[in-house]
Amino acid sequence: MAQIEQSDKGGKKKKGAQKKMSIHVDFTPMVDMNMLLITFFMLCTTMIKSQTLQIVLPTNEDVKKEQQNQAKASEALTMILDTEYNGDKPAVDAETGKTIHNIYYYEGVADTTFSTSKYLTKEQFIGNQNRQPQGIRKILRGKNEAVMAEYEKLKTQWKNKEITKDEFDKAAKKNAADSNKVRPVVVIKPGPNTTYEGLINAIDEMNINQISRYSIELPTHTDTVLLRHYEQTNNETIIRPLVRKTSNQ
Amino acid sequence: MGKVKIKRKSTLIDMTAMSDVTVLLLTFFMLTSTFLQKEPTIVYTPSSVSEEKVPMNNVVTVLVSSADKSGKYEDPSLLEGKIFISFTGDADSTLSSEKIRLMMLDEALNIYNEQHKNAQVHLTPAQKAVFGQTNMFGVPFTELPNLLSMTPNERDKFQGDMANPKVGIPINDNKDYNGNYNDFQVWLKAIYNVAQTINREQGEKLTAEERANLSNLYTALMRKGQGIAIKADKDTPFTTVQRVFDNLQTMKLNKFSLMTALKSEDEPTQ
Repeated sequence: MAQIEQSDKGGKKKKGAQKKMSIHVDFTPMVDMNMLLITFFMLCTTMIKSQTLQIVLPTNEDVKKEQQNQAKASEALTMILDTEYNGDKPAVDAETGKTIHNIYYYEGVADTTFSTSKYLTKEQFIGNQNRQPQGIRKILRGKNEAVMAEYEKLKTQWKNKEITKDEFDKAAKKNAADSNKVRPVVVIKPGPNTTYEGLINAIDEMNINQISRYSIELPTHTDTVLLRHYEQTNNETIIRPLVRKTSNQ
Repeated sequence: MGKVKIKRKSTLIDMTAMSDVTVLLLTFFMLTSTFLQKEPTIVYTPSSVSEEKVPMNNVVTVLVSSADKSGKYEDPSLLEGKIFISFTGDADSTLSSEKIRLMMLDEALNIYNEQHKNAQVHLTPAQKAVFGQTNMFGVPFTELPNLLSMTPNERDKFQGDMANPKVGIPINDNKDYNGNYNDFQVWLKAIYNVAQTINREQGEKLTAEERANLSNLYTALMRKGQGIAIKADKDTPFTTVQRVFDNLQTMKLNKFSLMTALKSEDEPTQ
């Protein structure tokens, strides 16, 4: 491990001169041990911290019928969520490996007389393709154009370092809640077979599209009637019995 | 011309520098690491574009168990929706996680015993001390004395058995048959009460301005909505999550956060 080398050159030594000694300590085992410890700590740490999505729901007391219908018909958009199931597991897209969620949305007030030819429209969470919003994101962005235009402007300013991140956040928040602009009111209605991921995706779209007014409600009878109508016109089955039973403790 | 002599070189490499580097790295990892907290069940959270981080301190995590993926059970989806709670206190030691847990426990037991006069639950100081050191728990109040008398290994095994009806904080009925809070609501009530007490005590000696800048569990709960974080699996049915939401809404803790993983805006969601 540790070697003490005596350097004796030539053999001739002055008497009384101190012996020169160089001490070599072999650090290899030390390094080995340290590496092991590093590996241990690296594996045990959680470097990636979870993110959180803020959500505010009304308390059970202050949800009143009148309040729910306050939104102007022109601004309202209702999204009924559904997740496809394959047996008792959520159906997975073979290509992307992600769960398939469907959104059936309508704008304005529900019209159960079905005077318009197509009431519910089916969409999916596709996200961006070539940096262009697709699927439900495109629809939502279209509804929130005024806010999004301002938001993009702010974003460019922030990217050009004209404003700080804090200023940007503040301005974006104010912009999203600007009552002078035309903003949609989105009602998210997760159907009984929706998974948690479907709901998160929907809330996520609200954040991406800077929609400040949205609520999460349970589907009503009207929604069922609309879905039935969609099923009949498109020859699809959407309304199914609960795929997964929930436990009773 | 003389022969070219190949010098014999010693193969000893000086490892001192290497050792220095590794020790530095080791120190870095040791100081930055936060250990994975043991959880009774594994959940995979869905992803969102939100960049807000889960706070390190002053947070109550509500874990919703997911369908069993190991294939051990006949009907895995029946094991879904069991509730576990974990408390994290302040960064400094005046209100450490342990103290917060004990405060919560006392308050929750008070509320519970008030409502269930005929079936009160009492814990010994030793059992309470164990509770202070337990990160995550999920049993009805009636099972608490039993759970806290176990050894740590037994406790992990007990709580990890999702098929056991005694595991999971009862949440199903919004109110029980006597009109009392269910166990989950008792805990929520206790969280609110304790947070309020802490806030009052801390705010007493401060000026109004200082009070506005206070950061404790109460402000996290009320102002930022970061006090309660819900952690559920991406495949959990909405009906299960809805039950948790509903209880939170009933207890007026309607500002909370959902734990997600990070993804970029351009990533396909589907």
